[in-house]
Amino acid sequence: MTSRLWPEHLDPVIAEFQDCFDSMERYELLFEYSAKHPSPLPPEEWTDENQVHGCQSRAHIECSLDSSGRFLMRGGADAQIVQGLMSVTAMAVNGMKPERVSSMSPEYADAMGIRNSLTPSRANGFLNMFERVRSEAEKMV
Amino acid sequence: MALDVNAIRNDFPILSRVLPNGHPLVYFDNAATSQKPKCVIDAMTQYYEQYNSNAHRANHTLADEATQALESARNKISSYFGTNPENMIYTSGATEAINLVAYGWARYNLQKGDVIVITEMEHHADIVPWQELSKEKGVEVRYVPINTESFTLDMEAFDVALDGAKLVCVVHTSNVLGIRNPVEEIILKSHAVGSRVLLDCAQGAPHERISFDNMDADFIAISAHKMAGPTGIGCLLVKSDVMDKMGPFMTGGSMIRRVTTDGSTFQEGHAMFETGTPRIAEAIGWGAAVDWLSNFDMKEVHAHVHNLAHFASQEMSKINGIRIFGDPSRSDSSGAVSFLHDSIQSQDLAILLDEGGFAVRTGHHCAQPLMDALGVPSTNRASFWIYNTEEEVESFVKHLRYICDRFS
Repeated sequence: MTSRLWPEHLDPVIAEFQDCFDSMERYELLFEYSAKHPSPLPPEEWTDENQVHGCQSRAHIECSLDSSGRFLMRGGADAQIVQGLMSVTAMAVNGMKPERVSSMSPEYADAMGIRNSLTPSRANGFLNMFERVRSEAEKMV
Repeated sequence: MALDVNAIRNDFPILSRVLPNGHPLVYFDNAATSQKPKCVIDAMTQYYEQYNSNAHRANHTLADEATQALESARNKISSYFGTNPENMIYTSGATEAINLVAYGWARYNLQKGDVIVITEMEHHADIVPWQELSKEKGVEVRYVPINTESFTLDMEAFDVALDGAKLVCVVHTSNVLGIRNPVEEIILKSHAVGSRVLLDCAQGAPHERISFDNMDADFIAISAHKMAGPTGIGCLLVKSDVMDKMGPFMTGGSMIRRVTTDGSTFQEGHAMFETGTPRIAEAIGWGAAVDWLSNFDMKEVHAHVHNLAHFASQEMSKINGIRIFGDPSRSDSSGAVSFLHDSIQSQDLAILLDEGGFAVRTGHHCAQPLMDALGVPSTNRASFWIYNTEEEVESFVKHLRYICDRFS
């Protein structure tokens, strides 16, 4: 069996990004996804403790387990590109077992065509955000 | 004679670069660092290929050539800034130069209760050393506010703050607003009350021929990399009588005269403050940069850069939702144009501009007290220099308008 880099239910989302005509259309789609966050963290819950450092904009993440022991990521950012990447990440990880989240790879951002998202210094801070989610899941295992 | 910008551009190999997204580079992040002409790159390469050696330390040919090149660069650079080599201390940049004033002068000459006047417009590099000194020695730090309508310093508040001041630290030209402060008036008024004056000229030096002796400031801090030179080097210009009252900041290396188990003695003059192995390649590169800049009349350079900034701000102001911070219509304003869109967050805007090949800066620009005064967490900043063109500005404004129409 081939091991997947991201959960199967993310495939349609990635396909949607891959179908975009150019990078601007992809960013436009990401702006749309920023409004579709399945579990947003409202600004009044943004604290120093849940802030993701290393992002040029403000980004906050809270991770927990729901009543059935499944992973729940709540996130908020003032930049829509970061918020859009958070939305897609939440769609990927919410409802998964923390073991699965802790071993997930960030490759889906590259597959979406969000340029250089996996470069540590890249301004959108995706990698810092992803690593925060992954390490929080690891602590729950 | 107007600048031949096309000929100038040919001196910069990087300006013909095409980015990975297929767009030609349009570099508008000059207030962060300028690009380097080929003569600077070549001078540094030649040093490493032909005479790389430690300076001041040996009798062999290469060491002699490296020492000569290092000191020749000091002569050129100090002359460019209208002063003598003895008044110039090599540092890693303007930040270290300001820290050198804090640790090498203020720590030896200021006492508890003495007053240091700074402004809300300062870069963190000209705020934090004074806050740290305040904690250590109990000096009082006073902040001169800005007028948020005109974006200029509140000079009435400056006059009040000056009472009892021992040191006034002011940025020559704001890295965020492009505003040039009335430094001549500030120096006169400060000296009238017996205060020393430090000017942060990191942004001023690329736009104006700084003449240290004529300006009469006690200290001037400069970074090479914003004026066609390499990163990692800058200088502190210091009046001779002030340097005599300075003590060591860091110790070791070139600044040592004699070390015994009983203690140490130090070199005098600028050598006392140049520790470790000198920044030889960087000094040679900076020397080549001032040689290159000497080909131009800096008044023409300023006029060109100012015209671009003024034109850009006028055109950007026509785009719905764009707000400009600063006043690029002022003839003394530099090439920095800070702006925000009312619904597209600054980082998003910068990423979308980058998609079009436009390099701009985003963030608080290491000036968080100024951001607080302006009531914003960050801005976008386009900053122009000698090699930028009106066509680049036009294409930038076109792309900005496209982004604002599509994403807001």
